Amino acid sequence: MAVSAFSDEWATQFKDEVNKSSAYRAAAKGWKWTVGLVIEAEPDKNVPESIGIVMDLFEGDARDIHVGSAAEAQQCNFVITAPYSRWKEVATKKLDATKGMLQGRLKLKGDLPTIVRYTKASQELTEATTRVAVEWPDER
Amino acid sequence: MAGRAVAITTVSYVDDEPSAFASMLGGLIEANVEGRPEKKKDFDALQARVGIWVTDIDEGVTLDFQRGSLTVHNGLQPKRDLTIRAEADTVMNLSNLRIGAFGMPVYYNEVGRAVALKLVQGKLRIDGLLGNLATLNTVTRIFSVR
Repeated sequence: MAVSAFSDEWATQFKDEVNKSSAYRAAAKGWKWTVGLVIEAEPDKNVPESIGIVMDLFEGDARDIHVGSAAEAQQCNFVITAPYSRWKEVATKKLDATKGMLQGRLKLKGDLPTIVRYTKASQELTEATTRVAVEWPDER
Repeated sequence: MAGRAVAITTVSYVDDEPSAFASMLGGLIEANVEGRPEKKKDFDALQARVGIWVTDIDEGVTLDFQRGSLTVHNGLQPKRDLTIRAEADTVMNLSNLRIGAFGMPVYYNEVGRAVALKLVQGKLRIDGLLGNLATLNTVTRIFSVR
């Protein structure tokens, strides 16, 4: 059953998908930093306020993923920021996250060598998001 | 000024608005060089003009290494010694190549094999390799986060 994008239910299912992924677990061995996703508001797409996704990822395990404020997500060790519609493109596989970062369509803040070292882990995280059935706010 | 840390800026950008790719590569190299003495040694010795073109996003940069400094240009500029053309994933893999014995990139692990396969398939092209193999290895060492 589809859940509302970037809702508490979505965060729970996303966390479950991450923890079910053996590929992510292997690729993220050694990762011990928090990651914040900032989904910038697009009122015309039914996203009136920016949303933060806060991920506590440790050694291939998602210890916690929750929805918070954009300000909370910005406090994480690594922060990826993009408008809502761009995140939707990533989650629906219309935009590859690596290409998005190289093109500046997804803005990254954090230690670059570390994020490059874990490119495969970030790709597996993206894969996990695509496995959550989602109802998008602009399609309601 | 005693006891105060001084930031060493080794990377500069020619363009008023460096592309995201230029900023990312420049930032990556700067972090590598400032954090790893062995990479700083390579950086201080390297004099070469290297182009990197990402074929699936149609963007590229020119990295002008001048023995201890790097100037980053948006796009491919003339008079390059080496030009690497590859898809985004392969460019990221290049920066994940392990460096093995004698400072040679390792091509026998999973990442190395993926890079070698792209070379064989023609999806990774390196122009100017003849006569510049040592330069390529030095650039790879500076570029690698491993």
